[in-house]
Amino acid sequence: MTESADPGASAEAAISVRSLWKVFGPKADSIVGTPLAGLSRAELLEQTGCVAAVRDVSFDVAPGEVFVVMGLSGSGKSTLVRCLTRLIEPTAGSVLVSGEDILKASPARLRELRRTRFSMVFQHFGLLPHRRVIDNIAYSLEVNGVKKEMRHKRAHEVIELVGLHGYANHYPEQLSGGMQQRVGLARALAVDPEVMLLDEPFSALDPLIRRDMQNEVKRLHRDLGKTMVFITHDLAEALKLGDRIAIMRDGAVVQMGTPAEVVANPADEYVADFVRDVPKSHVLTLGAIARPAEPGEYLDGPRLDVTTLIRDASPVIADASGPIVVIANGEAVGVVTSDDVLRLIASEPTASEHEAR
Amino acid sequence: MTTVRGLLSRRWVLVLIVVITWVILAAALKGVSTLELSTAADTPFTAWLRDLAASIRGNRTKSPAFLYFFNPIRLGVQGFIEPIRSVIAVPAEGDLIPLFGWLGVVALIGYIVYATSNLRTSVLSMALVFGCGVLGVWADSMDTLALTLGAVFLSLLIGFPLGVWAGLNDRVMAVIRPVLDLAQILPTLVYLAPLALVFLIGIASATIATLIYSIPICIRITAHAVRSLKAGPVEAAQSMGSTRWQLLTKVQLPMARQTLILGVNQTTLAALSFVVIAALIGAPGLGKPVIDALTIRNVGDGLTAGLAVVLLAVMLDRATTAAVLRSQSYVPVAGPALIRRRIGLIGGGIATVVAIVLSRNQLWAAVFPPQLNFGEEISAFFDTIVSWVTSTFDFLTTGLNTAFTTIMLNPLEGLLANSPWYLTITAISLVALIVGGRNVAVLSVFLMLAVVAIGLWHDTMITLSQVLLATAVVMVVGVVLGVIAGRSERAERFLKPVLDAGQTLPAFVYLVPVLALFGPTRFAAIVCGVFYAAPVVVRVVADGVKGVPSDMVEAAVASGSTTTQVITKVQLPASKKSLLLGANQGLIFVLAVIVIGGLVGAGGLGYLVLVGQSKPELTGKGLAAGLAIVLLGIMLDRIAHASAQRSDRSSS
Repeated sequence: MTESADPGASAEAAISVRSLWKVFGPKADSIVGTPLAGLSRAELLEQTGCVAAVRDVSFDVAPGEVFVVMGLSGSGKSTLVRCLTRLIEPTAGSVLVSGEDILKASPARLRELRRTRFSMVFQHFGLLPHRRVIDNIAYSLEVNGVKKEMRHKRAHEVIELVGLHGYANHYPEQLSGGMQQRVGLARALAVDPEVMLLDEPFSALDPLIRRDMQNEVKRLHRDLGKTMVFITHDLAEALKLGDRIAIMRDGAVVQMGTPAEVVANPADEYVADFVRDVPKSHVLTLGAIARPAEPGEYLDGPRLDVTTLIRDASPVIADASGPIVVIANGEAVGVVTSDDVLRLIASEPTASEHEAR
Repeated sequence: MTTVRGLLSRRWVLVLIVVITWVILAAALKGVSTLELSTAADTPFTAWLRDLAASIRGNRTKSPAFLYFFNPIRLGVQGFIEPIRSVIAVPAEGDLIPLFGWLGVVALIGYIVYATSNLRTSVLSMALVFGCGVLGVWADSMDTLALTLGAVFLSLLIGFPLGVWAGLNDRVMAVIRPVLDLAQILPTLVYLAPLALVFLIGIASATIATLIYSIPICIRITAHAVRSLKAGPVEAAQSMGSTRWQLLTKVQLPMARQTLILGVNQTTLAALSFVVIAALIGAPGLGKPVIDALTIRNVGDGLTAGLAVVLLAVMLDRATTAAVLRSQSYVPVAGPALIRRRIGLIGGGIATVVAIVLSRNQLWAAVFPPQLNFGEEISAFFDTIVSWVTSTFDFLTTGLNTAFTTIMLNPLEGLLANSPWYLTITAISLVALIVGGRNVAVLSVFLMLAVVAIGLWHDTMITLSQVLLATAVVMVVGVVLGVIAGRSERAERFLKPVLDAGQTLPAFVYLVPVLALFGPTRFAAIVCGVFYAAPVVVRVVADGVKGVPSDMVEAAVASGSTTTQVITKVQLPASKKSLLLGANQGLIFVLAVIVIGGLVGAGGLGYLVLVGQSKPELTGKGLAAGLAIVLLGIMLDRIAHASAQRSDRSSS
């Protein structure tokens, strides 16, 4: 915790994480800053008996951004998100929330921050089984000393917000998994936090419910504009929800970028493996396949913005007799024909290849 | 797998070699250096203990330790228990009846049970308490109940906070755990004498002894309740900024509710069973007739009192278990059920108050009506039955007794007790070395030498021979029934009430009928030990067999194994850990009863403890025998424990 004054840390960011480490094991404190920190996870475990769950992670999350951390189980993503509110105490590094160093906060200050500025949604919901929905949602207001009338009023507001109308007096065990996680969301929204941390919130749900809940999060984000850190192991979910994605492996971030950047230019084999099955047309925009017009091509076709998803543009491209024109800020930057789209789709693995894998 | 089998069998071959050598040498050296000591004879150590006890007795009114510590505790405990007794059991000074007569007590119990569980259990509880009156032991039953409830209250008062603390804090747990472990090993009999010495014979000693037995159980379950909570909700509450106190009161304790109530159940049953035994140091109530039955062989009265203990045990168990079940769901009753319940609570409350008032004003409601009291008839009936059984089946009981004693018990006792002490120590520690490893072997040598130094080697070996035989029988019974119960749900359903009863009943109550059947013999003590320990072992083994993954069993069946092969080649080896755990528990349970068996003629250490209590000149010997029991218990527990751990390591 010596590097909190890291020059790279951003005070404007909603969350600014610099050189964050979490090492589990005996003498966990004596690893960061020594040559041992350079070892791979397996080597470190063998030599010291310690596991580096989070290794030297840095990132900024802008206000209002949805920042997705993606990785397989054991990649350290859940540990990372817990380090942000010190549910797990980080070993080294700094975490700034609106410019304030969380790692320096006193226990009382940390509690205050947890009660008012952050909230968290858990994979297995973490609802209190002995409390009604409304008292679950009002819990953080309750521990913050808000009067019963006030906190129930606020709880009713968020109950409406997440579509739990009529369930205020139910108990968690009376609700389905999807409904329980709606309570989890409502609970996280109740304090009107600056930052929401969502730790694989939908992994325990059925696929259909999961899609509903993802749309729910998109809607809530659109309406409320909360800053979110979203943890998932599901690439489709990451691409769907994330403004930016950080991909973790063995505790370190291996790539960070927008969904399009990650899919178009995987940083290494590990990421490439992840994104191989993603239909590129669902993620890439026209900008990714636009090319300069060749001599003789007509340039009076339909005009589409460079940020349009290829999937959304394809009906227009199919209907057009010639190339369509891709524009950015009103200027034409290139053209796309249906051949270009076909070529992109052809470069993806076929359905039978999917089966074979 | 083959190497594990190889190791295992090599280990048992070594044990066999040691035992055979031991038997041969013991036969050759029979009667040499057995350190046998007559009951009245003292050793330097027992003489020292006797003088120590005498000086403690002399100092009760002088020494500051008594004036400012022990005596205030005694008076405090007594001052707490006596009022409870005066409510339901004994008239306060100047009164003719206790505060509440029988009708009031029955109604109050019914109401409390209704409020904490349900109507059915409430009616059952009232019937069971009423039954105590029918058996003609109303006053004694109420005394036992009052003492039990008082002890439970104190146990919870002390054990609950400690348990929560130990549940939350690893360091506290690390400090408390050895104490809890020791309390589990200690046979109940051994701390009676020292307590009586310090706190006098009477209610205070009886209560404190009960507390020593029940508080560790309360602490253990409470700590477990706090520790075994699901992590998710606790973490979520932390993430929302709870203070530690908020976390405890708003999250952890409410969530742990069910296990905490289970703790009340276990604490209550433990307290009841001990209050009966505590009659040995002056606890009033049902224990007294039971002891009388054991010593002067007034079997009918003893059985009647024992039956009343059973009724109380079932009542307390059912009532608390119903409360546990009720707390299973966190959703409270609502709608019509809630209205019905409110009406029930109000109506029941009024009825209870009326009953209590009646019980203070009307003779029929105050004193249990003689017309309903069938105590003498029941007692006489029991006497008839027992004498009929003993005379009719004499050939069987005596035959069994004689056969077991001559074929098994005498040879084993001869081997352990009637051969040179150094031979026995060498042999036992070699066995400990082979099955448990070096540390345990060293500990065993040390503990056995301590027994020799105390001077009670011979008696200790007599007790050990009974413990080993009873444990062997318990293991056979336990494995057979456990495998059956573990394999068949129907068998388990059938066995469950028997096992429940076996675990609920205080050990003392089996002594009476067994004594009636087999007379005051070592065999009777062994039978009691088997009855007492078998339910636990059956349960542990059944859980182990049930815990074997079903695909493992299916795979064995699919590859054409016979049932016997499935049991011997898959289910038993796979649940080896449970078998060893069962053996460990069995040993400890058996030891606890075998020493009580001193009351029924089993001799050995238990007899010395009891004699020491009744004859002042033998106090030293009694205390020393208690110490020897502790040493023996620790040795057996550690050997069993180490061998369980060892096999755990080798199979993993």
